[in-house]
Amino acid sequence: MRKEYGLAARDLVDTLRYSSIKRRDFLRFCGVTAGLLGLSEAYIPKIAHAIEKGTKRPPVVWLNFASDTGCTESLIKATYPNAADLVLDILSVDYNETIMAAAGQQVEEILQKSLKDGNYILVIEGGIPTKHGYGMIAGKDMMDIAKEFAPKAIAILAVGSCATHGGVPAANPNPSAIKGVSAVLGDAYKGKIVNLDLCPVNVEVLVAVIVNYLLFKKLPELDVYGRPKTFYGQLIHDNCERRAHFDAGRFVERFGTEEEALGYCLYKMGCKGPMTYAPCPKILYNDRISWCIKAGAPCIGCGEQGWTDKFAGFYERLPDVSIPGFKGVEFTADKIGLAAGVATAVGIAAHAIASSKRIKKGGEE
Amino acid sequence: MPKKVQLKYEWNWAYRIEHWVHVASMIILVFTGFYIHWPFCLAKCPYCDFNRFLHFVSMYTLIIGLAIRVYMAFFSRFYADWKDFSIIQNIKGAPEMVAYYTFLKGEHKEYRKYNPLQAFTYLSWAGLIIIQALTGLALYTGDVFGLFSSQSAFGWINRLLGGEGFTRILHFLIMWYFIITAVVHVYMSLLQTLVKRDRTFQSMFTGYKLSSATGKKR
Ligand code: SF4
Ligand code: SF4
Repeated sequence: MRKEYGLAARDLVDTLRYSSIKRRDFLRFCGVTAGLLGLSEAYIPKIAHAIEKGTKRPPVVWLNFASDTGCTESLIKATYPNAADLVLDILSVDYNETIMAAAGQQVEEILQKSLKDGNYILVIEGGIPTKHGYGMIAGKDMMDIAKEFAPKAIAILAVGSCATHGGVPAANPNPSAIKGVSAVLGDAYKGKIVNLDLCPVNVEVLVAVIVNYLLFKKLPELDVYGRPKTFYGQLIHDNCERRAHFDAGRFVERFGTEEEALGYCLYKMGCKGPMTYAPCPKILYNDRISWCIKAGAPCIGCGEQGWTDKFAGFYERLPDVSIPGFKGVEFTADKIGLAAGVATAVGIAAHAIASSKRIKKGGEE
Repeated sequence: MPKKVQLKYEWNWAYRIEHWVHVASMIILVFTGFYIHWPFCLAKCPYCDFNRFLHFVSMYTLIIGLAIRVYMAFFSRFYADWKDFSIIQNIKGAPEMVAYYTFLKGEHKEYRKYNPLQAFTYLSWAGLIIIQALTGLALYTGDVFGLFSSQSAFGWINRLLGGEGFTRILHFLIMWYFIITAVVHVYMSLLQTLVKRDRTFQSMFTGYKLSSATGKKR
């Protein structure tokens, strides 16, 4: 079924007929996307037109590397109308190992054809092992596949934390030396790679970036980490629905308490919202049903570069500090401060006692 | 033999006000900083937003205070003390002071205002206040003095350090440096007062210190 659907270039009318997407739902999707991109209502027909242009849509090649496929999961579970059809057909995903029906030889053919034609939007999900033999598809190192596909892409979207900077698979000790797409492809691709941090990627953001491309033929404005400023420009803490509790000093101290049931601020439970720039409080997840903090869990900072190591432990206020040179020895900043404070107090007391002679002498003069 | 002592006007009003403004803002900063680090009051008492407001206001005060202090170091008509902070001079003098404080030596050279260890500490305070201001502003999402966006001006610091989390840790640890050195500072001034009976401690209130006429002057 899927094979017959996704591969042939078909116009939207067919797509709509086959996949039971209602016109109204489709326009609603266009409206949501316009909102995400900060465009006025007047753009809704233009977005619809850009998506409907049929065969002229650039194909999307979706490569899966070292990850748990959570971003694909996020992609096929989210967004109305009928997410799978919308994303597969309207966005013309020509190749996605996880959800395509084809296998083996067939798949390789599709992939090679896309590569030959070029001009695709390359979506990369997952980190890239930089050691030979640590992650291979069809006998090829993932790193080589990425380098093979990158040059002919019109845009490269690194989706999810694994692809942007390594994410979970790159966490210490990272035996396969996993890196993010930007790090592997190097500076030559700067400005061409859009990093969509978050674990998993927020599919509305992903779709919005692609639609933005269809509409304006360019990528959105990026910040220094290569993330679209529109989505990654604001602190979670500044948009959080529990912020009023923070400001009023109402905190959850422990899970399973009344404070938790009342939905107080999760700052003391290690919430990294004050350190994380991501669109979660605004766009939410799962068709805008919920997101981490709404669901009662502190933000663990998955939208930031360097997560997970940088934000471990997830339920601590500050990440642990390892002392350079002492591997495995970790201190919290609190302990360091306290130790220094105690040492000072002891030092002063000792010094004062030792100085008593001088003080006495001073008194006699 | 009793030494001949005389009253010496050590600190004029500007130095004293400046000192106490620093003390006040530092105490508020440390207190509110600990609160931000771990809000210890519960629902019934003070507000985080007011607490943060105090923190920001005190930091602005401290920054302005430092600017004035630096100006005074060069242009004070009472006593421009920038020469006392000469790093080379102070490196030369430091071993003797360390020896004195560790009881290896009974006496030490007299200095005009600050002995080498003091000079280094105060210099480090000036430098670290600047670093605290920068890291603080990097964590701040408002507008600096209401003029320009703090994030666009100082966000690079977070990237340099590896993220907000690390900026926060650095900011926190430097606070401990201030606490420790401030405690040592108070202890030393009390010690000096007791050993030399020269009213060093009181001089920051009254402005006057006792100075022995026989003391060697540098
Ligand atoms: S739950 Fe987290 S992000 Fe929300 S207000 Fe509290 S600390 Fe900030
Ligand atoms: S709220 Fe925090 S942990 Fe949750 S998805 Fe957003 S950045 Fe990640």
